[in-house]
Amino acid sequence: MKTLLIAESRQGKLLTGSYETLAFARQVGAEVTMFLVGSESDLPKFDGRLYLADYNEVGEYNPEEHLRLLLEVINKEKPQLVILSHSSYGWDLAPRIALALQAGQISEVVDFQGASMVVPACNAKLQRVVQTQKELTVITLQAGAFSLADEPSGVPTVEKLAVQVASKMEFIGYEEPEAGGVDLSKAEVIVSAGRGIGKPENLAMIESLAKALGGEYGASRPVVDSGWAEHNRQVGSTGQMVSPKLYVACGISGAIQHMAGMKKSEFIVAINTDRDAPIGEVADVLVVADLKQFLPALTTRLEG
Amino acid sequence: MKILICIKQVPDMESRFKINAAGTWYSDQDLAWRMNEYDEFAVEQAVKLREQLGEAEVVVLSVGPDKVKETMKKALAMGADRGVHIHDEASYEKDSFQIASAIAAYAGEQGFDAIFTGMQSQDRGSAQVGVLLAGLLGLPAVTTIVDFVCDGKTATVKRELEGGLKAVVKLPLPALFTCQLGLNTPRYPTLPNIMKAKKKELVSLPIADLLTAEAMTTTNLIRFPEKKGAGLILEGDISQLTEQLVAILKDKTAVLK
Amino acid sequence: MEFTREIYWNVGHGAGTLVPMYVLLLTALCILVWGSWQRIKIYRLGRELQRIDDLPRRVVEALYQVLAQLRVMRVKGAGTAHGLFFWGFFLLFVGTCLIVLQADVTDPLFDVKFLKGPFYLVFSLVLDIAGAIAIIMLAGLFVRRYLLKPPGLETRQEDAFIHVLLMVILLTGFVIEGARMAVTEIGTNLSLWSPVGLLFAKGLAGIGEDGQRALHAGLWWLHLLLALGFVAALPFTKLRHILTTSANYIFVDHGPKGGLVTLDMENEEVERFGTANLGDLTWKDIFDADACTLCKRCQDRCPAFATDKPLSPMKMINQLQEIAFDSPESSLTETVGQDEIWSCTTCRACQEICPAVIEHVPKFVDMRRNLVLMEGQFPGEEVMTAVDNTEVNGNPLGLAFAARGDWAEGLGIKALADDPDVDLLYFVGCYASFDKRNIKIARSFVTLCQAAGLKVGILGKEEKCCGEPVRKIGNEYLYQSLASENIERIQGYGVKQIVTTCPHCFNTLAKDYADLGLDVPVEHYTVFLDRLLDKGLLKLVMPQSFACSYHDSCYLGRYNDIYEAPRRLLSMVGGALAEMTKSRAESFCCGAGGGRILAEEKLGTRISESRVRMAAETGAPLLVSSCPFCLTMFEDGIKGAGFEETLASKDIAEILVECLPTG
Repeated sequence: MKTLLIAESRQGKLLTGSYETLAFARQVGAEVTMFLVGSESDLPKFDGRLYLADYNEVGEYNPEEHLRLLLEVINKEKPQLVILSHSSYGWDLAPRIALALQAGQISEVVDFQGASMVVPACNAKLQRVVQTQKELTVITLQAGAFSLADEPSGVPTVEKLAVQVASKMEFIGYEEPEAGGVDLSKAEVIVSAGRGIGKPENLAMIESLAKALGGEYGASRPVVDSGWAEHNRQVGSTGQMVSPKLYVACGISGAIQHMAGMKKSEFIVAINTDRDAPIGEVADVLVVADLKQFLPALTTRLEG
Repeated sequence: MKILICIKQVPDMESRFKINAAGTWYSDQDLAWRMNEYDEFAVEQAVKLREQLGEAEVVVLSVGPDKVKETMKKALAMGADRGVHIHDEASYEKDSFQIASAIAAYAGEQGFDAIFTGMQSQDRGSAQVGVLLAGLLGLPAVTTIVDFVCDGKTATVKRELEGGLKAVVKLPLPALFTCQLGLNTPRYPTLPNIMKAKKKELVSLPIADLLTAEAMTTTNLIRFPEKKGAGLILEGDISQLTEQLVAILKDKTAVLK
Repeated sequence: MEFTREIYWNVGHGAGTLVPMYVLLLTALCILVWGSWQRIKIYRLGRELQRIDDLPRRVVEALYQVLAQLRVMRVKGAGTAHGLFFWGFFLLFVGTCLIVLQADVTDPLFDVKFLKGPFYLVFSLVLDIAGAIAIIMLAGLFVRRYLLKPPGLETRQEDAFIHVLLMVILLTGFVIEGARMAVTEIGTNLSLWSPVGLLFAKGLAGIGEDGQRALHAGLWWLHLLLALGFVAALPFTKLRHILTTSANYIFVDHGPKGGLVTLDMENEEVERFGTANLGDLTWKDIFDADACTLCKRCQDRCPAFATDKPLSPMKMINQLQEIAFDSPESSLTETVGQDEIWSCTTCRACQEICPAVIEHVPKFVDMRRNLVLMEGQFPGEEVMTAVDNTEVNGNPLGLAFAARGDWAEGLGIKALADDPDVDLLYFVGCYASFDKRNIKIARSFVTLCQAAGLKVGILGKEEKCCGEPVRKIGNEYLYQSLASENIERIQGYGVKQIVTTCPHCFNTLAKDYADLGLDVPVEHYTVFLDRLLDKGLLKLVMPQSFACSYHDSCYLGRYNDIYEAPRRLLSMVGGALAEMTKSRAESFCCGAGGGRILAEEKLGTRISESRVRMAAETGAPLLVSSCPFCLTMFEDGIKGAGFEETLASKDIAEILVECLPTG
């Protein structure tokens, strides 16, 4: 099976999530060709053909041009499967490709079963097994669902693409999130607060436990959106992707986006009053208890 | 100015789901229904835009069985002017492409200047309908907006990217926007507006009149995900739990000395 | 000597006295009427409200309450002083009326004099004592206001005016009497029946008869002028409370305690809901403001005020008065302020104690109705979410409605949909259905009922929130929608008896739902179990005595006067009750009422922690309540205030269930 992998870069820097598409392709044992709008100075490491368009010429947000270039490549390579990450780039671009080529699109793939893809539904409470009957299928992969077994290596054979801009849309610039001193992706232990903490004051017990464990505290998106924690504490696909040695999820039910952000942690403990919370899917240990009682007790025990 | 909002009625995500008889979707028994969370931001933004411009026609559209009209009434109570219901008792069997095609068949003739949709639905979550609809209508589309400023001719939006980064994009109308959490705070409908909504126009069009496309994808089955075998569940008295967990952490991780 | 006196002695009984006197009286009355009419015109700006049905009964009731000063005297100290002062002044007023009656009516027209003989002796003595007491009490109140200065008491210029006016009237009265007695009665037995007057007479002995007569005449006219000035000043000062506060007892709400107006949602003509401006209020609301004497008893008991929230019920009533009479165009909601409006827990401590029977709570709820229904405003996003959850899933916690009956697993009870033939419907409520801590109470209650041989049924997933929190937060529309659904279900199953473990559900189903058609007896479980025990249908054993304090929930106590049944239950199983200072009708709210269980407490200090501290002060290690909101607040409060080691909180049901005989 031939696949076309669409890698991502931002301002010329390759986004490492791009390797997830490679991981998937290798797992299904497919032939791989890659497409990237990026920079020659930061190319993905793999052995194979890479179609490259210069990001300076294309611009930072230009889905029409990405589509036009892709159609050229697809027409030439004729893959059966086009693979993107289910990212703000992927979900923006994939439907455009599917529509242009009358292809079927399957979003947020977490697994495959033969020719069918497995995708989550209803906040990961359910799973669907989906397939297309088309010659070409476009899929987007859930962030963190597939990863390379080894360090990426290799040197791609680059084929440059000619760019024609003329986008109706104008990219104005990027806006950084508020600066913060913490980089959760480097923390070895993270204790995260979810909606279950109930009120902002209870964040203190999360922080105390984190400190007692020698780590950092994080938060789920709703907690950050409510203003109870800074954005740089957010764990999840729109926050930070983390893989600490220990992740303690407190009062977090386990929305897909959050789980995507932490499921690669080495050891996951969830504290939740709900035995059936989806976080239980990824947790090594689920402590069914009220965090408002359990956390202080645990912290005291660790400090004592 | 004509504005379209595409909304979907979904079950409340706290519901306990059961698989339907055919095994291809969830059963609609014992579910509480509500407007798709992302669509609420779309409705709010459309109404805000009309309030800013002073005058505009805001149409809310939804595909589904009769009961979706309840959810459409909420959009009308939030400020939409009239509703277009594409009636399909088995809308859950249609895929994203078919939904988008049916909507496009209606919207194509209407000349909407701005279309707002949610970035994805909470149940299927494929995040395709909005962009497909724009493509079918030949309109530019920007997904995942968390900020929207418009003077009636041009829109400047902010896309939410990973890591909290935002991308600022400017584009001319007509265009389609898919809305993300953080764009706005959907208003609570006031009682006079709820009353008025009961009288606003809400037409139902049978889907058969609008849908000609075949499905691009099929659902083989829907199931509950396998529970990870390794997951250990601890319950009981707090001090016991504390001891148990500390023992496990010492054993399984290198975190505690 | 004859036991009587010459009325109009020294000033003359002819036209020279009577004409100016009656002209002045007429003038004073005209000013009184005109001044009152100006105020009545403002009351009439309010909407209609029926409060004069069964008028004779209302008037009699009001006369009794006012004359007996019952509510006024509930608070010792200032209350007792006012009561005594009132009776003193009232007796003097009656005495003056009797004098006028004889002097200007019965004597000249019918030649009848009754102020003579033994009656006159008693008359003289009573009035002397009345006057003395009035002076002493007035002096006491003066000391309280100006020297002791109790915190929170507002003192204005008119207070000084009133103190001086009343004191001078009283004192001149005695000087006049003294001067007269110095000339006519000194040295007689009769004088002993006016002991205070006699003292003044002795004091005036030195100025000689001419001096006494001149003083008497001068002060007589001054006293008359001041007294009539008092009458004329009534509508323009706080003195109006003599009329307005008294009249407010006529207009009391005869509906169930704590009732709110059930808005007519069907009427399409109605375009405004709730209160934002003067025109939205009823005449009674505006009248309430005029009945207020700023006594601050409501403020003293308000749990929000006590925890540094900007809310004061007295201030709100006063702001209402300012708007009504000084700036009718102003917005009431803006003047009072949203922080204030949302802070009320509807505990009714204000109304329970108010000696002017002012209705504070419904005004706050009405303002909230305007904010919610007309503006879509809430105290916070978390409340909007909770209201939304209630709409979608029938509970503010946002949990799946289909799981509402899951708490009962293993108890062997069924939903009415499966088996409607039951002895009672247990209306569980949202917290007991979904909150882990409160599920224990639900299970305990069912176990107790089963021990008494009763078959309990629940609505299970067909039960929706009773609607109380959303109603109190202002969403009358959602409340009525929930209530209608619940009532339809209940009636559909032919339920004969309902019991609840939540006072909010209890109050709502027993009283509020009657307006929407529910006609089934509803009881709170403490009253229900108390009766079962009394009849011997339920047997409990007393393992051992335990010390505890009992918190009277607002919606059980003040709203429904249920104080004894829970206490009986506790003592029956060995509870040694250490009463908190603020208990029964003076109980201090846990902070969750008025829909505040849905909101975050962002202002001031925590009400729950204040109450928990009061419980800890009793020394008892257990705080008992019989309400899921109170229990939830106390669990939080105990942690927040750091009392985890010394204080625990429990519900009566979970204590009783431990006392079932085993085997």
